[in-house]
Amino acid sequence: MSVKMIDVLVIGAGPAGLAAAIEAAKLSASVIIADLNMKPGGQLFKQIHKFFGSSAHHSGSRGIDIGRMLLNEAEEAGVEIWLKSTVTGIFPGGKVSIEREYDDRDAELVTLHPKEVVIATGASENAIRFKNWTAPGVMGAGAAQTMVNVNHVRPGNKVVMLGSGNVGLIVSYQLMQAGCDVKALVEAAPKIGGYAVHAAKIRRAGVPILLRHTIIEAKTGQDGSVCGCVTAEVNEHFAPIPGTEETIDCDVITIAAGLKPTMDLIKLAGCELTYDALFGGYVPLHSEKMETSVRGIFVAGDSTGVEEANTALDEGRIAGISAAEGLGLISETEAADRRTEIWRRLDSLRMGPFGERRRTEKNHLIELYHESVKEQKAFA
Amino acid sequence: MSIAECGFLTYDELKEKQTLPSDARYSKGPVAVIECVQEIPCNPCEAACQFGAIHIGDPITSLPSLTAEKCVGCGVCVSRCPGLAIFVVNKSYTKDTATVSFPYEYEPVPKEGEVHKGLNRRGEPVCEGKIVKVLNPVSYDHTPVVTIEIPKQYADEVRSIERERGKGA
Amino acid sequence: MSNYLDDDMIVCRCEEVTVGEIREAVRDGAKDVVGVKRRTRAGMGLCQGRTCEKMVMAIIAQELDKRTDQVGTSSARPPVRPLTFGELADAEVI
Repeated sequence: MSVKMIDVLVIGAGPAGLAAAIEAAKLSASVIIADLNMKPGGQLFKQIHKFFGSSAHHSGSRGIDIGRMLLNEAEEAGVEIWLKSTVTGIFPGGKVSIEREYDDRDAELVTLHPKEVVIATGASENAIRFKNWTAPGVMGAGAAQTMVNVNHVRPGNKVVMLGSGNVGLIVSYQLMQAGCDVKALVEAAPKIGGYAVHAAKIRRAGVPILLRHTIIEAKTGQDGSVCGCVTAEVNEHFAPIPGTEETIDCDVITIAAGLKPTMDLIKLAGCELTYDALFGGYVPLHSEKMETSVRGIFVAGDSTGVEEANTALDEGRIAGISAAEGLGLISETEAADRRTEIWRRLDSLRMGPFGERRRTEKNHLIELYHESVKEQKAFA
Repeated sequence: MSIAECGFLTYDELKEKQTLPSDARYSKGPVAVIECVQEIPCNPCEAACQFGAIHIGDPITSLPSLTAEKCVGCGVCVSRCPGLAIFVVNKSYTKDTATVSFPYEYEPVPKEGEVHKGLNRRGEPVCEGKIVKVLNPVSYDHTPVVTIEIPKQYADEVRSIERERGKGA
Repeated sequence: MSNYLDDDMIVCRCEEVTVGEIREAVRDGAKDVVGVKRRTRAGMGLCQGRTCEKMVMAIIAQELDKRTDQVGTSSARPPVRPLTFGELADAEVI
């Protein structure tokens, strides 16, 4: 088996990866997307709700339909999508090892030698500790969402959701759509974290939102799985106040306590990192081209800082254009013009009370990149 | 308490943050009521209205504003709002009753003629009402718009119906 | 908070490492995520710390009275996901 040469390898077939692949392929780069899942689309195919954003982001369409549109566009642009394909290593000299699984034969390890790589590996859910948090029935909100929206299985019947960010609010709504009873949303902060319109949907359906509360214990039955949830009020330091415990009857506890960027391949590629609490943890430093401190390694989407699908799409587009620019497939001025237009759109997505901090922070991170990365490392 | 602290709008907060149709406009028939009070990046309602009654403009985080005189109460925006935050209210349906049209994305979708409990913004039942119309064309993309007839005094309160619960139990 | 965080509570579920073991590793001299990982195996299992790393960071930070960004992060090494020996044996030498 020989090492295959390609122009661009995109890791992750979510909105960021698909958008990057589409832009690069439209500029006639040869592009492979590798994704470890059985289906492409990342989180998009779990998103059965209508999206926010502007018409450039297909707003008003459901995430699942946006996923279909992107897949068609990628196929038309000639992108090759490798599913069940897990990138296991990125090596000095620019080789990338991928474990490919097949339906009809054994998995094999293949090596690609891409000229450029876009890492769009997304994010993973944060866990929260409370007594018996490892019991069956305690799960991430994203996991529960996959169960109902992709696999059409209810995780249980009576749900307590921890976290009132948009994930907690939207997944609560979707669990109700799937026929679950959502008993309560528990939120340690004194304010609802997500959009008011999402909160209004579940309040209108009679679901209480317990602010300044946390979960201190999952009650477990004889089989060890969840049969209740003990909540308590918290003080201003988010510590539970003794004597305020209450037990809610439930068989599922879902955790929507934020996400963290998936960094292992970014670390492996040797990209310079910084810690950013707002964006969910360690993130790679990157330029306005979405290029990291390693030349030819680009990043996009949640792996550069946890946001949402629209920003992921636009960051992916920038990464794809920049990758094509690196290959000489688009002139510097044209690439710069197109990036400016997309950045303008990103800036408008990152406005208002929910976006302002992210916009400031993103600009700060790009400044930090220019301050600290004097010379890029070589990759390929 | 604001919606960010309790999750639902009080009528006072809504009046303070959105321009609602005037009594004169209500007297002419159905009209959209936009219950969107946070600056979030979203504008499908603007494109949904073919009468140009909804304006957001630039930036897209601006709150939508309704020109109630241009609104015909067709309800297309109700199905298009990702936040399910637009309703159509007809305060002159009959002498004693009003109708409220709201998005309803749960199974089973109610049928015309059925009687359901009307819920307020906090999910509390406030009255009973008859379903007078259910629109669910392909263009609404799985967001049926349900119209319920209720006693007129609840027109500013009722925003949904009680859902059939515990089906999975 | 500590009233509710018993020492026997599991933090790294892949390797079944408890709060107490992580605290002990810190008392034993671990100053960061890598130090705790070497002493306890927290973060060395199937998920490679994707579930527990933030919780491990929080415990170390609390024990050492530091900020979360001062206790480091784990390093990544290939393969970042599990592979079988058979796959490795059949592969081209990278």
